[in-house]
Amino acid sequence: MRTFNFYAPTALDEALELLRKTDGGRPIAGGTDLVVQMKEAATKFPHPSSIISLLLIPELNGIEFDESTGLRIGATSTMSDIADSADIREHYPSIAEGAGIVGSIQTMNMATVGGNLCNGAPSADTAPPFLVHDAEFVITGPNGRRSLPADEFFVGPGETALAPNELLVEVRVPAPADRSGSAYVRHTPRKQMDIAVVGVAAAVTLTNDDRIENIRIALGAVAPTPVRATKTETFLSGQPASDESFAEAAETAAAECNPISDVRGSAEFRRHLVGTLTKRMLERAANRARGG
Amino acid sequence: MGKVNISFTINGSSHQIDVEPQWTLLEMVREQLHLTGTKEGCGTGDCGACSMIVDGRLITSCCMLAPQADGSDVTTVEGLLANGDLHPVQQAFIETGGVQCGFCTPGMIMATKALLDRTPKPTLDDIREGLAGNLCRCTGYTKIYEAVMTASGQEI
Amino acid sequence: MAQETKTRDKAGDSEYTAVGKPTIRIEGVGKVTGQTKFADDLTFPHMLHAKVLGSPHAHARVKSVDTADARQHPGVEAVIAAADLPAYKMNPSNRRGVIFAVDEVLFQGQPIAAVLASDPHVAEEALALIKVEYEPLTAVTDPISAMEDGSPLVRSAISDVDRSEEKGHVTIDVEQEEAEGAPSNIASKINFSRGDVEAGFAEADCVVEQTWRSAMVHQSYIEPHATIADFDNSGELSVWTSTQAPFYVRDELCQTLGIHESKIRVTATEVGGGFGGKIFLTELITAALAIVVKRPVKYIMSRKEDMLAATPAPFAQVELKTGMKADGTLVALKARLIYDSGAFPGAPVMPGCLFVGGYYKCPNLHIEGFEVLTNKVSVGALRAPGAHNATHAIESHMDIMARELGLDPLEARMKNAVEEGDPLPSGQPYPRIGLKDCLRAISESDVWKRRREVEGQANRGVGVAIGGWIGGLQPASAIVGLNGDGTIDVTVGSADISGTNTSFQQIAAEVLNVPLSSVNVTTGDTKTAPYAGMSAGSKTTYTVGKAVKLAAEDAKRQMLDIAAQRFEASPDELSVADGKVHLDGDDDKVLTFARLGKMTTNFGARFAPVVGRGTMSTRKSAPGFSAQAAEVEIDPDTGAITVLGYAIVQDAGFAINPLSVEGQMQGGASQGLGIALSEEMKFDEEGRLLNANLLDYRLPTTRDLPPIETIIVEVPSEEGPYGARIIGEPSIVPGGATIANAVADAIGVRVTDIPITPERVLRALGKL
Repeated sequence: MRTFNFYAPTALDEALELLRKTDGGRPIAGGTDLVVQMKEAATKFPHPSSIISLLLIPELNGIEFDESTGLRIGATSTMSDIADSADIREHYPSIAEGAGIVGSIQTMNMATVGGNLCNGAPSADTAPPFLVHDAEFVITGPNGRRSLPADEFFVGPGETALAPNELLVEVRVPAPADRSGSAYVRHTPRKQMDIAVVGVAAAVTLTNDDRIENIRIALGAVAPTPVRATKTETFLSGQPASDESFAEAAETAAAECNPISDVRGSAEFRRHLVGTLTKRMLERAANRARGG
Repeated sequence: MGKVNISFTINGSSHQIDVEPQWTLLEMVREQLHLTGTKEGCGTGDCGACSMIVDGRLITSCCMLAPQADGSDVTTVEGLLANGDLHPVQQAFIETGGVQCGFCTPGMIMATKALLDRTPKPTLDDIREGLAGNLCRCTGYTKIYEAVMTASGQEI
Repeated sequence: MAQETKTRDKAGDSEYTAVGKPTIRIEGVGKVTGQTKFADDLTFPHMLHAKVLGSPHAHARVKSVDTADARQHPGVEAVIAAADLPAYKMNPSNRRGVIFAVDEVLFQGQPIAAVLASDPHVAEEALALIKVEYEPLTAVTDPISAMEDGSPLVRSAISDVDRSEEKGHVTIDVEQEEAEGAPSNIASKINFSRGDVEAGFAEADCVVEQTWRSAMVHQSYIEPHATIADFDNSGELSVWTSTQAPFYVRDELCQTLGIHESKIRVTATEVGGGFGGKIFLTELITAALAIVVKRPVKYIMSRKEDMLAATPAPFAQVELKTGMKADGTLVALKARLIYDSGAFPGAPVMPGCLFVGGYYKCPNLHIEGFEVLTNKVSVGALRAPGAHNATHAIESHMDIMARELGLDPLEARMKNAVEEGDPLPSGQPYPRIGLKDCLRAISESDVWKRRREVEGQANRGVGVAIGGWIGGLQPASAIVGLNGDGTIDVTVGSADISGTNTSFQQIAAEVLNVPLSSVNVTTGDTKTAPYAGMSAGSKTTYTVGKAVKLAAEDAKRQMLDIAAQRFEASPDELSVADGKVHLDGDDDKVLTFARLGKMTTNFGARFAPVVGRGTMSTRKSAPGFSAQAAEVEIDPDTGAITVLGYAIVQDAGFAINPLSVEGQMQGGASQGLGIALSEEMKFDEEGRLLNANLLDYRLPTTRDLPPIETIIVEVPSEEGPYGARIIGEPSIVPGGATIANAVADAIGVRVTDIPITPERVLRALGKL
């Protein structure tokens, strides 16, 4: 790995100032993606002259949940922090499931949610869960603070809506409605220590007569970015939460996604998995919504 | 590009040193502190041979920048000996045949320690989940499962 | 001949005091504490780190290599390409005869030049400053089309192919027909015939014909290749390296670099996994670099380099046709095996051809093998090289035929299984073997017994398969010395890659009737250790173990002679026990080993030192067989396979250390499971490897492998120490077929390619 200047600011303003001053400086948190990319000279950007560690900035830490305002996850929260959080496991199970399957235990102890999202991988395991929970990404930068809905954050493979020298501060997730549930699963050749061939998250809110009042489905690794399956969502709205509608939804999702073939799987295989996993996640999310 | 001055504790002893910013924690520990017990198997966090415990958490030291260890408490395999006596996990790995070539062993032992710190009486499923980040090519894991059961005082 | 067979229980009770008992590793404490020194843990004053530039192209002409800028990079001590090396005795037909690519690059990752610097980061940075001008050539990547007339050629013609390394893994008198005549990508051919194969098929009630493929796989030892070399002004070359084969490394360095063997010291450092892949690779380049700079040079391959440019195991296609009679008699077998050798010859096509027709008595067979060159990294050995590819095919056929004829798959195998005296396809008769004993034992395994319960359950299946290996043969020697304090030192020249030094400790302790703690074992370097062959071909306990036994017996004889003189008795009246020589029937006439040690080492001592010497050579192999069973569950909608249970039986002859024998069996089985389920090197059409890392090249993790039920069978070999036979390799062989058969049992359709990935399962089910 080539050398660089290293900074470890302890305040957010200081970090932003460093990003501005060090032309081409890059933020780092857990390092599980960035360090590996730098070692292999495989970053999507030129080798950084400076690396700015975000781990000592208190404002980026912490997970808080409130029944009315919802969830706040600081950008440097690790995957383990998220997967182990009792609040997240109870109220946002798909987020815990996504965070709890990233790489190895070691990876989960190091990798942060900010890194997982800002790396912009189409296969990022926390992205589909945040998409289905209507998360907002809070960003700060030279032009102040702004907030983006999750589905506007991902722009392309390795690309996000972050402008130069902007940082992700936190993810905010609204409190889930009553009778709602969510779930995430991915397919990988190995049971752990792997990258999603396909990831599917679903979140449903059911009416008292078991119809779908609100539905979100998001897919990972089947497009240049994590994406919502909007046609499938439209189809399911107002439908009964039944095997039949879930089976049809699975077919719709498989039809509307647009995967590529690569070393991890063919487009055909991915499309098939989208169908299978969409059905399973709808069932699991609906069961959770029913209190199961 | 300046070196970075950092302070940390490793295996109970405090250090303040200048480190090259692009060095990983693994390189610093092996090359600068001459603690060569921790191994590099892949350099990309995919094999677990470089596992250490940093501030109570198991990490792969090949993808952690050394300067990020500033202020940390690091434990490597060298830190498990107590007054020269083997740690129960080390003893169990020898007794059950959980050691073959020995290259994954330091990392595997650190992962086992982290698992037992969290779950003192793990089930087989707990073990298979807890060690999934540590590849072993020699044993097929069977005797490693036995080692972890033995180390936690359970029947195989 | 009556065979003495037993299935060992865990207690390991036997007539012996040391051998046959589960024994902890002699080097265990060093390994669990991290104190054992692997090659990368060693450092020397003034040492330089080497980083190597590999070709980005799989096939290209190298038009120029410009190292000027790299040499100017601050901190760089030297930049060395082919033109900077003396004219060594190179042979471009052999992988071992090429250091840097000259003129033509034949595979992605082939070394072009190296940078040396005190700081490895500096050396790496400077690699980017080397300018290489390539003219890309057509990369030939598919071995099947590469065989056709008119296919583009992989490389310039080959000649004088050196197959010495392959013979270290499997030693049998079979000649390959080397390529000659018109240029072709076929490097060699091999043929075996017996009886009239067409008449055999005419007799058969069931004929199955199918093409099977097995992927290129990597040994994936967790320690990448690692070597340090130093060359001094007296002309002495010292090499510390992670190798299974120190004497072979010495011999190869001598031949290529023109340095006498007496001036080369090769020290085999602890090997962090080899599995056949750590024979001779980084030693030559590192030695050549050290000779240029006359400083110690360390070269540690990155994982990526190791995936790209080491010596993985080949892809093979096996076209198999077999015929069986209704009573289960195998009557005809016709096979065509194609092994992808990569850019240099060396694919294990011969053992593949032997084993595809070597497990079962079959009166009529015709087997042809082809070794085909492609523009991929050239292959080497992986634990029983070539056997798993062929076994996948024949063991799938045995299941298919048994199923079609309504026979029990174990019964069908038992009916045809080879025994002592039955010929291999090459004609050589088997010595005493335990294949049938393995089949009987697997039928008693918990996993196989679950077959009844699983029958009829959707998407669950149980499968069985067998596999075997002949093993390599090389002469061996050992020294057993009595120290002044009465302890015993065993010195050998074999690298300990599988716990063999612990077995040698047991053997010496058994012969001399002393506690294990009195015996230590050292692997010396090539200057100080007695000769041993490479630790490959499962031969180390069989050959070096025998030498240790002879050396210990020699030492014992010397001690008895001294004691006999002292007691004025005949050596026949003496015995050893508890670290003492006793005169039988006289409790007062006792000489401790410590006393004997003093009597043979002190100033003015009357007796010469006790140095036992053991040398051996045999032409008789001791083949090993394994039977394995798996229970799997398939998710029919994702294709995911879960291995619920796995059992291995293996004939160890005599398990000197049951703990390490079990470890070898489980380890080999797990590698077989990787081959079966998830491991595959994938290349694009330009011959570039797409998964040069341990994320996308998937070794099984703990989540993928259940505990493995392990059953040792013991059918003693004729020449091995205490009846021990080859151990290390048979365990990897049946995995692919075992899983394939279990999957077929679960879903009723066949997946013909391994690894059996979820995607392939879905294709077989017609869901894609």
